[in-house]
Amino acid sequence: MAPPASNSIHRSGSRPQLDLSKAAIQGNSEERDPTILLPNQSDDISHLALDIGGSLIKLVYFSRHEDRSSDDKRKKTVKERLGISNGNRRSYPILGGRLHFVKFETSKLNECLDFISSKQLHRGGIDSHRWNSEAPANENAVIKATGGGAFKFADIFKERLGVSIDKEDEMDCLVAGANFLLKAIRHEAFTHMEGHKEFVQIDPNDLFPYLLVNIGSGVSMIKVDGEGKFQRVSGTNVGGGTYWGLGRLLTKCKSFDELLELSQRGDNRTIDMLVGDIYGGMDYSKIGLSASTIASSFGKAISDKKELEDYRPEDISLSLLRMISYNIGQISYLNALRFGLKRIFFGGFFIRGHAYTMDTISFAVQFWSQGEAQAMFLRHEGFLGALGAFMSNEKHGLDDLMVHQLVERFPMGAPYTGGKIHGPPLGDLNEKISWMEKFVLKGTEITAPVPMAPHGTTGLGGFEVPSSKGCTLRSDASALNVGVLHLVPTLEVFPLLADPKMYEPNTIDLSDHSELEYWFTVLSEHLPDLVDKAVASEGGTDDAKRRGDAFARAFSAHLARLMEEPAAYGKLGLANLLELREECLREFQFHDAYRSIKQRENEASLAVLPDLLMELDRMDEEARLLTLIEGVLAANIFDWGSRACVDLYHKGTIIEIYRMSRDKMQRPWRVDDFDLFKERMLGSKGKKPRPHKRALLFVDNSGADVILGMLPLARELLRRGTEVVLVANSLPALNDVTAMELPDIVAEAAKHCDILRRAAEAGGLLVDAMNNTLDGSKENSSSVPLMVVENGCGSPCIDLRQVSSELAAAAKDADLIILEGMGRALHTNFNARFKCDALKI
Amino acid sequence: MDLQDDVSNQQNSERGSQISHLALDIGGSLVKLVYFSRNNDSRRDDDNEQRSRNECLGVSDSDTCQPFLDGRLHFAKFETSKINDCLEFICSKKLHLGGTLLFIPWTVIVRYPNTCLQATGGGAYKFADLFKEKLGICFDKEDEMDCLVTGANFLLKVVHQEAFTYLDGQKEFVQIDHNDLYPYLLVNIGSGVSMIKVDGDGKFERVSGTNLGGGTFWGLGRLLTKCKNFDELLELSHQGNNRVIDMLVGDIYGGTEYAKIGLSATTIASSFGKAISDNKELEDYKAEDISRSLLRMISNNIGQISYLNALRFGLKRIIFAGFFIRGQAYTMDTISVAVHYWSNGEAKAMFLRHEGFLGALGAFRSYEKQSLDGLMVHKTVQKNPSSISSAGDKSCCSLNSDSKNENEHSGCSVYGM
Repeated sequence: MAPPASNSIHRSGSRPQLDLSKAAIQGNSEERDPTILLPNQSDDISHLALDIGGSLIKLVYFSRHEDRSSDDKRKKTVKERLGISNGNRRSYPILGGRLHFVKFETSKLNECLDFISSKQLHRGGIDSHRWNSEAPANENAVIKATGGGAFKFADIFKERLGVSIDKEDEMDCLVAGANFLLKAIRHEAFTHMEGHKEFVQIDPNDLFPYLLVNIGSGVSMIKVDGEGKFQRVSGTNVGGGTYWGLGRLLTKCKSFDELLELSQRGDNRTIDMLVGDIYGGMDYSKIGLSASTIASSFGKAISDKKELEDYRPEDISLSLLRMISYNIGQISYLNALRFGLKRIFFGGFFIRGHAYTMDTISFAVQFWSQGEAQAMFLRHEGFLGALGAFMSNEKHGLDDLMVHQLVERFPMGAPYTGGKIHGPPLGDLNEKISWMEKFVLKGTEITAPVPMAPHGTTGLGGFEVPSSKGCTLRSDASALNVGVLHLVPTLEVFPLLADPKMYEPNTIDLSDHSELEYWFTVLSEHLPDLVDKAVASEGGTDDAKRRGDAFARAFSAHLARLMEEPAAYGKLGLANLLELREECLREFQFHDAYRSIKQRENEASLAVLPDLLMELDRMDEEARLLTLIEGVLAANIFDWGSRACVDLYHKGTIIEIYRMSRDKMQRPWRVDDFDLFKERMLGSKGKKPRPHKRALLFVDNSGADVILGMLPLARELLRRGTEVVLVANSLPALNDVTAMELPDIVAEAAKHCDILRRAAEAGGLLVDAMNNTLDGSKENSSSVPLMVVENGCGSPCIDLRQVSSELAAAAKDADLIILEGMGRALHTNFNARFKCDALKI
Repeated sequence: MDLQDDVSNQQNSERGSQISHLALDIGGSLVKLVYFSRNNDSRRDDDNEQRSRNECLGVSDSDTCQPFLDGRLHFAKFETSKINDCLEFICSKKLHLGGTLLFIPWTVIVRYPNTCLQATGGGAYKFADLFKEKLGICFDKEDEMDCLVTGANFLLKVVHQEAFTYLDGQKEFVQIDHNDLYPYLLVNIGSGVSMIKVDGDGKFERVSGTNLGGGTFWGLGRLLTKCKNFDELLELSHQGNNRVIDMLVGDIYGGTEYAKIGLSATTIASSFGKAISDNKELEDYKAEDISRSLLRMISNNIGQISYLNALRFGLKRIIFAGFFIRGQAYTMDTISVAVHYWSNGEAKAMFLRHEGFLGALGAFRSYEKQSLDGLMVHKTVQKNPSSISSAGDKSCCSLNSDSKNENEHSGCSVYGM
């Protein structure tokens, strides 16, 4: 069944409504990243901040939205009966929302004004409907702004938008922005040497002092000692403006990006005078200068008979880029040295994630410091000032923002827009689809994988060799994408993590290229099947087919982008990749592609559950425990995420396969701690151990997995007097069972099992039964409860740094954790350590 | 010898004089020559020189059987790209046959295949074969940094009123106590820039450098303005106004100063930053303005990096030399301002009158190590300031690309040896 309309299904609570009537692509729609005007957009937007620099205007705005899932009665009821921490769960002072990052060229100020006006950003989103009419401008409206243009264009803003600009100090903003990013966003900072990018985990408690180098038109160097504690210690007038200004005069390029793109194909040796040119090809080794060191930028333009026209613009651009980057790196290092700073963060729009620029700067810092100092870059490099201005608005409520409350999402357009100047993602489904269709032609040209040059074959070392150049042909190939930051205030760090600081969810690091290639292939091959299922889940209509196509294109584009630049969206782990796919599906409004399949499987499994339970009950304790664990392993084979099992499923009935595979699960297993578990559960030498107080069971798939695998295990625990909390996904992901679906399944299972029924009643899962037992019958109190909580995510994997507050609350009394399934126990969390007993199956 | 000296005059002055000890510094853009002509007993028609010869303290050194050394050091330069002009010049002057050979003009000179010249700079390697082939001479290659430092030390110790400061158009000579010369930072601005910490004679370390140097100014300037030579480009900068092209703090802040961090409205925020947003093309900018902007960019940058390096090693004196400067008031002013600005007045930029010839002088001095030990003038007194100052001005001599070699080479003369 297709969802009725785009405005009712918003289970994630992170999809604000967009009014797309009269939507239009502004300017030439053949541009790579057209700005879309949504004149009637009435998104609940508040808090706009601007950074108006010499060449670019940066916007950061925050859109809040209601938690639209609260009208879902079923879910609400379930939650209310949970009996855990329901009281303050919704009492968070700040609502969830999204932080958007947008940029415009300062010379196109009008486009920026139109954008703000169209989105009503300057009205703070309050009663924004009213403003759609001819209502007079609010004279008191104020927006925060920084950068030189905040002064220069104040009058224009007043005149055009009727808003006053509240000017924030530029340095204050830069520092506040950098501190926010470094503290709030994981994988924000990275090093970039010889084409290799590596994210650096920064301990927020050991952040200061550092040198912040902001490369805008000019360059500011700021020593940062703490929040609001900083000093501008230096700067240089040879900056981004110099590159673009001189570049424009010398090459006739029409845009900064065009100039930057040219440099990719340049050879600066035709223009720069190298040490080798002076020394006849020899190194001046005595002072450590190799023949390919630049002795004098543009020095060859002196002696040649050539005129400007005789030089390739590509070479000029590269020569300029190296001159400026190297110079900035050098001056930065000298200043870091002066104040004994080991960390230098480079930000600002000059960098633009451009690999060669970063390499050159890194090399300069490394060269002059002899490896003592390290250049680091920021993914949100251009938005420091705007973010800082945003932070200066006390009303945003983000003061105590924690890393775990932010989730960065990369909307569909991300692979195309890269680090470019662009508007926010399109909101309307139709727009999205036609955008995909329109760009697929260009897309094949833009995103076709580029032949990779093998690394390190040039035979020359150091900054003389543009080692990251030539690997790719796209100008934005190494541009890091800036996603939309989703603020989910209900997310918390899983309290039972032994060492949250060291915790890394991903077992598989996709920066390893062969791993990435493997998963790329797996996901690509699985894609057609997924699209079929998704389309079928929506009734197979023409509309669904169209959306399915668009999804396939969008996801392929993401994949292609990531193959090219694995770090484009931050540090890439398998969990991120799998979640990206789910997000992408949801973006094209495939909310539950496996809906019908899950249902069928559940029904089939529930039908055989009584037989299984009887079989189990006939066993003695020890055999039963082993069989239960084997059963969990066996049942997990029914996983639609794994292609091999898809075939298997078609060949027999569910219980036969289950029994067959359970028999195959002969010990010893690859990682086999069963004896330890058995001892903890059953004790040894006649001593009965104390049962666990509460167990958290992280369930995986629908069907056999949860019903024939996890439920019997839960039943065993309940029988031993252990409370059981089933932890399931908040949002559908593949065929994973969700927290929404579980109560029904449990209720159905409870029909055949007293243990389950009483526990479920105690846990408030049996809505109908609950009503009956309210009449004074206390028999359910004799059982420990069986409960269900959502985990806060919609991915086949789980990042325990960001779980729902519900789960966090449930975890408080828990002393046993059982993680089940490939996604949650192997691909992620395999190496996780917990404060209590944990079983990974 | 004046810049305007005509050819015959020069020939007169050299006729009958003994020319010896040619040293070369072959850089990326310029070839610098230093050679010594010993005054002999022949009559001189130049009063100044006559006087100077008489007034100079001769050097006598018992070790070297050179009872009397009186003569002139000549300085000449050529563009490296016109190395053939240089070869011709050397040939015509028979400089390569120097040594202690006494020769008289107009006589036929026999080539001595084993003659060696002291040479430094990258070109000493690059053009070694060419010199061998064309002139039959080989190079005694001297280390470039060695030569720079030797040359600078020599000038600072020996020549009076060699170093000066330049701020707000005021040139002020600095008397440097020979015993308190070290340590200092020597910044040699050639095509590229070398920064050398000098701790004593032969005691030094190249601590830094930058690739934004004279070559960058000229190279970019040539591309942007079609100027035919360095001096023309420099000349243009005098009439230029960099505000047309540079983005100033005031341009960003709408005319107000960003006082909080001590930036005035006229501070350059971004060199060439205005060329971004304008709809102007290259042709729409005046060459004068471009040149000015370029000069400020590079001078300022060198000044800043130099200061940072001086700070790093606690050096109070920064001495700028090299052919980029050319005694240009505006260049020196910008560098001085940069050093002054970044050091809050703590450090001082100093310049040398013989700025371009440090390397060549240093190479020249290495002759002494071999045969003329003791040429080192311990008590040389410069007693002819008027002549010196006129000689100093001559160091701005043009690098014309025309073929009049005799005019090209006429560098300044230093008396006192």
